[in-house]
Formats: sequence, C-alpha cells, structure tokens
Amino acid sequence: MITLWHFLAVAAALFGIGLVGFLTRRNLITMFLCAEMMLQGVAINFVAFARFHGNLQGQVFVLFILAVAACEAGVALALFISLYRRRRSLDVTDWQELRETGVPATFDAEPLDRPVVEPEPTLTPAGARPLPPLDAEVPASV
Amino acid sequence: MNLFALSFALETGGQIALAALLGVAGFFLLLPNPRGRFVGPGIALLLSSLAIFGAWLYGHFGNPLPDIIGTILFALFSAGALGFGTVLVVQKNPARGAIAFAFVILSTCGLFLLLAAPFLMAATVIIYAGAIIVTFLFVLMLSHAEGPSDENDRSREPLSGAFAGFAFVGLVLFTLHQTSQAATPSHLLAPVLTAEERKALGEIAAKLEEAEKQLDGDTSTHTASDERVKAFEVAFAPIKYDLYGVVGTSDKDKLAAVRLGSLPTRLEKTAKSGTDSAVLFREDQQARDVLRRAEIVREQTAQLNKNVSRIFQREKPDVDSAKAEVRKLRDEVVLLRGAGDLPASNVRGLGFVLYSEHLLAIELAGTLLLVAVIGAVAITHRKGVAK
Repeated sequence: MITLWHFLAVAAALFGIGLVGFLTRRNLITMFLCAEMMLQGVAINFVAFARFHGNLQGQVFVLFILAVAACEAGVALALFISLYRRRRSLDVTDWQELRETGVPATFDAEPLDRPVVEPEPTLTPAGARPLPPLDAEVPASV
Repeated sequence: MNLFALSFALETGGQIALAALLGVAGFFLLLPNPRGRFVGPGIALLLSSLAIFGAWLYGHFGNPLPDIIGTILFALFSAGALGFGTVLVVQKNPARGAIAFAFVILSTCGLFLLLAAPFLMAATVIIYAGAIIVTFLFVLMLSHAEGPSDENDRSREPLSGAFAGFAFVGLVLFTLHQTSQAATPSHLLAPVLTAEERKALGEIAAKLEEAEKQLDGDTSTHTASDERVKAFEVAFAPIKYDLYGVVGTSDKDKLAAVRLGSLPTRLEKTAKSGTDSAVLFREDQQARDVLRRAEIVREQTAQLNKNVSRIFQREKPDVDSAKAEVRKLRDEVVLLRGAGDLPASNVRGLGFVLYSEHLLAIELAGTLLLVAVIGAVAITHRKGVAK
C-alpha cells in the first residue's frame, strides 16, 4: 500500500534533482527545463495532499501552478531570445557582470578541445577587375 | 529520549546521508566537464543511491498490504521520473534534455493517475506537449550544433551544486521521517468500495432480476398468489443474506449470523491500532455518501418481503407494481455499486470547486496569462527591424 510519505519523498527527490540541474548547468534552456521539473515535484506534493485529505483543493492549486508555469515559460523564452540577440550565446556566464559585488568572476581555466574546423575553400582573387558591361545604364553622376 | 528511538533515527539518518552522498558523487562524475566525465562509475553511484533511497522508503513507510499492482506502478513511475530527471540534468545536448523532460512529465502524469487526478494528468500532458515542442524549436534556433561549447560542456561548481541540492533533499527526507513517527496513519483514502464488494453487489443485482421473474404467472386465485409470494420469498432469502453481508442488517430484521456487513464494519468502526487502514473515513464525504446509500438498501431489503406480500393479498394483485418494488431495490443496489469511486467525478468536482470557491483566482490567472503574453511580445519586439 502506497502511503502519503512515498509520494512526498519522491517529490522531494525530483525537486532536489531539478535544483542540482538549475545550480550547475549553464545552458539557459536546460536551466529552464530544470526549473519546470522542480515545479513538477511541487505539483506531486499538492496532488498527494489532495488525495490524502479527500478533497480537491490541492488539485485546484496545481491547475494554477500550470497556468503560472505557462506564463513563466512565455516570458522566459522571450527573455532568452533578447539575451541571445545581444551575445549570440545561451551561456548564462556571459551575463556574469550582473553578479553581486565582491563575488569573484567565473573564469574558465580548462580549455575546451574544440574540433579544428576546416575553413571553407575560397578562390584567391586574381586578374583585372571585370568592367561593367558597356550597355549598362550608367548613373548620371559618374 | 528513548534510546531505541534515537538509534532508529540514527539508522535512518545514516541511510539518507549515504544515499545523498552517493548521489552527490554520481552527479559530480556525470555533470559535463571539459576534462571529460566518468559515465560508468557515475551511473553506478546514482543507481546505488536510488537503491538505498528505495530501500529506505520501503523499509520505513512500506506496508505489506496486498496492493501489488499499485506498488509496482508507483515504483515504475517514480523511478522513471527520477531517472529521466537525472538524464535531463547531466545531458550535454539540450535537445536530448528536452526529450528526457518529456519522459519526466509522462512519469509525473502516471503518478497523478495513481493519485486519482485524471483531469490534471490530461491537462499536464496537453500543456507540456506544447511547452516541450516550443523548447525544441528554441534549441534548434539558438544552439550551435558544431563542437563543444561553453554552455553545454561546462558546469558551474558541480561539486558544491550537487552537494547543495542533495543536502536539501536529505534534510527534507529526514524531516519526513521525523514527522511520520508522530503522525497518525497516513494511508491515502482508498476507493470506498472494495473490489469484492463491487463484485458481490453486481451478482446480487443479477440475482434480483432472476427473483423478479418468480412473480410472473397465475394470480387469479388466492392460493396461486400465495404460491407466487412463497416462490419469491424462497428465491429472495439467499439474496437477502448476501446483501446483508455487504450492507449489514437493519434493526427491523435481525440475522444473528451477519449482524454487520463488510461496508459498515470498514467505514464506521474506528480501528484500535494505528496501523489499521479502517479509520479515516469519518471526514470523507464520499464514504459518508456510500454509507447513506447502504442505509437505503438496508431499509428496502428489510421491507421488500412485506411490501410484495401486501400487494399480493389484495383482491386483484398487481404484478407490475410488485415487480416495480423489486426493481427499486435492484436499482439501489446498482447505484451503491457505482458509488464512491474517487476519480469518477473528478472533472465535475474540480469544475465545481474552481467556479464556486476560486472564481477570483481564475480571473486573476487569466489576467496573468494576458499580461505574460503582452510582456513576451514587448520583450522580444525590435523597433525598425521588421524585415
């Protein structure tokens, strides 16, 4: 028989895993998904309590959580777009000048072994610059 | 403080701490790191952490009551949620992370179903299907696929981050343990009627239809009518006995063998020991409704013989009205059989609660959604670069 405590324990573990992901990952999208996972843990708590008390108030609360999560998703994704436009990256560490004063900056010491990308072949410009065709309409100012 | 209780608490604390430390080590090894990561040992550590967590859960809160299917489903769904959640956290590729998140949502929805919340299950699936597709689009738009990148292959403070998260979980679990020691039994409300009672009531309804046929036939003379009534009473006696086995006897018709049926015994009596699951129902509206219905069935059962014989003692016995009496009892039995199922009226009840008690909150949530849409547009809008 499954008791209330089982659900509470699983919800706490789900919340904790989401917390670890939110604290350690640097990709904005992954952090957003981890935050949503923490919300799911909270929702399990509410539904389990609703079942335990035999009423529906907890489920109603989860419905409101869903609504707020949808708002949060919309605003968060809009913010991601405007952040991406400025720095061309999803890395949160790019925005570390917003940190508290006195906190040392994050410095990535270890190099990433980026693969060497072969540059695309280009033709060396050679010879005389081609003249425009004679019958082309020449602007009057030239 | 009781020494035994202290050792119990220490044992629990040790188990939780061990599981949390193994989890920290596993996450530390698995989180993206430019120096490379140790997938095999990390997964082994996380699995052992999960095993200890499950063992603790089963050892302290597990109850060997025969709800095997529910237990298996719970284990599957919760392991799925935690496992795919871990994949989401340690996965380098955000697109794969989004897929893992979809599975987390599906597992959570399974847990919702186990908790008798089918509407929430459907709503969550629908809403998060959209959310996950949008996330996918964002990954496709914004992520550069080629090579390792700062955001996907580095973690911020993996050791302290994992430690913070798991310290939180460990503390919550320990608090749960301490609270559960003091709490009253915490069984979730079971469906009010057990499967056996439902089955018995279904059989009784079928038998009542059979017994009703005994009333058909010749009723022209008094002796013939008496024969009909006798035949019906003979057919009705075992049904009555079965029915009393479920709903209990009424005061008017005492049968010493089955004084209390299974329903009132389970729902009305307060259990002596704390571990018995028979308590709890006094506050449960559905259980009270079921008891009221059982009371009606009990009364009608007690009076059925009398009513039928009174109808047949008239000058011109009306067979149809006698059969209507029997059918009334049969309908009540069928109603009782369908009553009190927890998810049955979930959507109706949810709608009622939402629009009666939380009307203002609904309006506020709608306003919040509107404001969020306006905000999203305002944030992403760029002047003059419409092309």
